[in-house]
Amino acid sequence: MIQKSAILNFPKDLLDRPVISNVIRNFEVEVNILQASITPEEDGRMFVIFRGGKEAVEQSLAYLKNSEIRVYLPVKNLVWDENRCVHCTACVGQCPSSAFTVDAQSRQVVFDAARCIACELCIPACSYNAVESISEHLAKTGGQ
Amino acid sequence: MAKTYEEINEKIRDKQAVVVTAEEMIDIVKNDGAKKAAEKVDVVTTGTFGPMCSSGAMLSVGHTTPRIKMTSATLNDVPVYCGLAAVDLYLGATELIEHGPQNKVFPGEFAYGGAQVIEELVQGKDVVLRAKAYGTDCYPRQKLETLINLSEMNNAVLLNPRNAYQNYNVAVNAGDKRPIYTYLGVLRPRLANANYCSAGQLSPLLNDPHYRTIGVGTRIFLGGGVGYVYDQGTQHDPSVPRGPGGVPLGGSGTLAVTGPLAQMRTEFLRAVSITGYGVSLSVGIGVPIPILDEEIAAFTGVSDAEITAPVVDYSHNYSNNTGEPLARVTYEALRSGRIEVQGKQIRTAGLSSYAKARAIAGELKQWIENGSFTISRPAEPLPGVDSGVKTRLLQIRPPQQNNHNRRGSARR
Repeated sequence: MIQKSAILNFPKDLLDRPVISNVIRNFEVEVNILQASITPEEDGRMFVIFRGGKEAVEQSLAYLKNSEIRVYLPVKNLVWDENRCVHCTACVGQCPSSAFTVDAQSRQVVFDAARCIACELCIPACSYNAVESISEHLAKTGGQ
Repeated sequence: MAKTYEEINEKIRDKQAVVVTAEEMIDIVKNDGAKKAAEKVDVVTTGTFGPMCSSGAMLSVGHTTPRIKMTSATLNDVPVYCGLAAVDLYLGATELIEHGPQNKVFPGEFAYGGAQVIEELVQGKDVVLRAKAYGTDCYPRQKLETLINLSEMNNAVLLNPRNAYQNYNVAVNAGDKRPIYTYLGVLRPRLANANYCSAGQLSPLLNDPHYRTIGVGTRIFLGGGVGYVYDQGTQHDPSVPRGPGGVPLGGSGTLAVTGPLAQMRTEFLRAVSITGYGVSLSVGIGVPIPILDEEIAAFTGVSDAEITAPVVDYSHNYSNNTGEPLARVTYEALRSGRIEVQGKQIRTAGLSSYAKARAIAGELKQWIENGSFTISRPAEPLPGVDSGVKTRLLQIRPPQQNNHNRRGSARR
């Protein structure tokens, strides 16, 4: 069983095809949609986490790429700026997946990107603007 | 064997003083006892870093040519108070940028305000000063617009009427409707999370619970530079009930502090945007405690397990000054990440950075060890438990209608 997060960019002429439904049915992959922005006549964007057998997840991604969907696999689901963080731990109390934890010795906040499910509860909790959503980050840095 | 301030300072100047942080002092007192600890240790350093709303900067800019007596002014569009002298300004940390969205789209982001201007000044950035005046014979200018930075000001001091709270509430949301956005952070309903805000065993006033050494005139670490306690802080309330070791059971003593902005660093002075609440300033404060005798040594040996805080409902009870705390919990439990309230396990988070508090206590320790920072005897103690000083609620007394007496006579 593996887990992979992906940002899917849909060309606007693809919006009428049920690609996610096909992924679920054909490859038996669990799809957790964390963010979706789909507007008629515009390119769409979706942030998802695929969960399933290694082969099934890879087949799903290949299917999406063949369908002319631009698939971007972010290294991180969230951007944590360690230089802005003061280690107050406000994010830790909100984080449901223990991506943010406190090191017992140093009392500093530690971020494990692999555990982040991009629920973004930490963003309003952080008073120091030390966390940024991946979509905000991509918009700012001009990423895919 | 009691020590004096002078004896300790002599040792500091000779670089012979034994200085430990309040965290390190815990084991020393536990293992050697307070008597031996008092003989061994000369100074204990404390630290705290968290949002402290009652903060601001007293700024004095140079006179312009021709001169102006400002009646209203802004710095980067954040209003500053001008009701002082011609070119003296007070920039409040929580003042918001003019015409900002505030909480109109709830919860507001509160991206910019006085605290952010203070942080930019400390970074050395230029800010825009705009001012208006009605003009007088001696101050004829009526309008001013200029860039200015910290190094161009004649005076710039942080002036914080209330900081370094001695203990504080733990906030929860006992309501069942929606998340609430408070100065103690985002609180999800049905006791989903609890937020606390104290450095606990490292916190200055929790290590000197009866204000035996911290008082008016105490030299301190402030925002990365040197500052002073200039008075008891606003809402200083020594009457709050106390537990063993004189530890107050809730928010009680406070400090009013001041120090030059030019010495400060953004590492220890940071603007904060508190979602749904407003802006504030996180201030790093470190206070040295001279170990004059065994009693003071014992006080500084206090640990998180011995300090308790009240768990208060912020969905209703706090706002309406009603109800009792839902529970009492230790800072040891709070820092473990979970507390139990009404049989329910609740996740906890701090708003005060323990890592920064530790860094502050450590840096102050270095300053004292290398002989560059001596301790000061207070000119005046802070009001203590027996002073009768107590914080009261405001009793609203509606003014009478048609009362013309209060404005004086405008007629000649």
